Amino acid sequence: MDSSADAFAPPVAGWIPVSPRLATARRVTLVLVYVLVIAGGVVLALTPLPVLWLVVYAVAALAAFVWTWWIIGRRVRSFGYAEREGDLLVVSGILVRRLVVVPYGRMQMVDLRAGPIDRWLGISTVQLHTAAATTDAAIPGLLPADAADLRDRLAARGEERTAGL
Amino acid sequence: MMQPRRTSPLSPLVQAAPALPAAVLFFIGPGAAIVERSGIPFVVLAVVGALIGYAVFVAVAWLAWWRRTFWIDDDGDLRLDSGLIQRSARRLQLSRLQSVDIVAPFLARLAGLVEVRVEVAGSGDSRIILRYLTRADADALRGLILQVTRAEESDDAPQSQALAQVPAGRLLAGLLLRSVTAGLLLATILLLVVTSLSQGPAGLVLVIITGGLPILSVVTEFLANYDFRVARTREGLRIQRGLLSTQSRTIPPDRVHAVSIVSPLLWRHWGWVRVTVTIAGVQGDEVRPDVLIPVAPRDEALRLLAEVLPDVDVDALPFESAPSRARWRAPLTWRSLACAITPQVIATRSGRMTLRTSIAPHARVQSVRVTQGPWERRFGLATVHADVAPGPVDVAGRHLAEEDVAALAPREVDEMRRARLRG
Repeated sequence: MDSSADAFAPPVAGWIPVSPRLATARRVTLVLVYVLVIAGGVVLALTPLPVLWLVVYAVAALAAFVWTWWIIGRRVRSFGYAEREGDLLVVSGILVRRLVVVPYGRMQMVDLRAGPIDRWLGISTVQLHTAAATTDAAIPGLLPADAADLRDRLAARGEERTAGL
Repeated sequence: MMQPRRTSPLSPLVQAAPALPAAVLFFIGPGAAIVERSGIPFVVLAVVGALIGYAVFVAVAWLAWWRRTFWIDDDGDLRLDSGLIQRSARRLQLSRLQSVDIVAPFLARLAGLVEVRVEVAGSGDSRIILRYLTRADADALRGLILQVTRAEESDDAPQSQALAQVPAGRLLAGLLLRSVTAGLLLATILLLVVTSLSQGPAGLVLVIITGGLPILSVVTEFLANYDFRVARTREGLRIQRGLLSTQSRTIPPDRVHAVSIVSPLLWRHWGWVRVTVTIAGVQGDEVRPDVLIPVAPRDEALRLLAEVLPDVDVDALPFESAPSRARWRAPLTWRSLACAITPQVIATRSGRMTLRTSIAPHARVQSVRVTQGPWERRFGLATVHADVAPGPVDVAGRHLAEEDVAALAPREVDEMRRARLRG
């Protein structure tokens, strides 16, 4: 990283993006949530409330759906990571931007995980753990082969750096 | 090295004591029905019921006590065999000893007993708590364990040098004058005045909350930190404190991950500060010390700090302050916000009513995080966090100029690497 004014400036090698399938996975979750929202609307329609309420509910739900659908795409595109010589960088977020730098020597554990929707779409998450609970270094939306490679590489580097202790 | 032995024979009586109120409650339910039928006075029934319940618990605790033995074997391991039916044999490698603590909980203290906690490095099964021993036995066991762990060293008596102690008056004054406590108490007085003038009961419910909460917290902290003493021993800083139950705990300097110097507004007149610390490794331990000194003159506190963080001059940290445009993001605290990086540590400053300086050695920082919320971005600000082990200390340089953060974050990463290479 150079010392330009941008605290989130990309490293020399640039950010590696995550798979767009992550957006699909999150949109599938959104649709599942909206099954409940629609069920709520049906219940609302069966009660003797003024029609106006139902309209307000539907409009609000639709607006929230469109906005979330759109923001998911942007959020997923905002994810990026970079493996440098001594540390791993993870960047994310649109509204609140985040950059985490984890030196390989500080890693305690590297996790690979994938929920049911992730497995169905063929993506997984690599998460780094250090002795600090606040280290927030998860890279979602990796293709399984990439994720396994990344995990093995990180674990090997972590061992290399801590071996001398 | 040591014959297997049991804990004090009075232990079952103490261990079963918490069952007493439960036993009373249990007999109140069925008791009410029996009272109606038999005419036996309720008090008699409750007492008899409580005693029967207590006796049952004592009997169970006694069987467990009888089957529980501990000793130090020839390999220098602390062994604990226990279990009535399902036996368990535990073994702690004393060569990896972290601490031996003697704690006197209230009930045990009534019976003149203490508990001994032995902790070794490592996760999982790394701690044995012996409940309960007499004070003399506990001291002897502690001496023996320390002797085993440094068989190679020839020094006999553990030297201990008193460094600081907090007088009860200063502790009480300090607790009452903490910003939130003082504010709530002031609000309570105002509410009382208003209520008595208006002759209505309206404010009284509020008074119970605004007055009760701070009084409760003052009393709890006063009891916990009464007679607070810090001494330097060979294992680290030894902290003893407590009125109803005394606690004693050693902070090995190499396990201090971060410290925070806190000075509430009303303390500054006397120049008092509080120092909290994050100690890594021990999770969910009620005697984990997070306070190095609850209230002390700044000089004294800084001397204590130098014991756990040598080579740091707290008054000469090269702070880079937040720019004046940070007032739009943090109108109250922007003047104090700052971050400094020295060859040894990263330090951050924050707060207005209560000023906080947090310091973490580079070797203890786990990762560096930069965050920027929408409002920060609007004014070209950003926050840099140094992530440390979980604890009371949060090292974050908030709302600094984005160009400063862009320089500070990589510098901290470099220093972390260098600290690691130094070991």
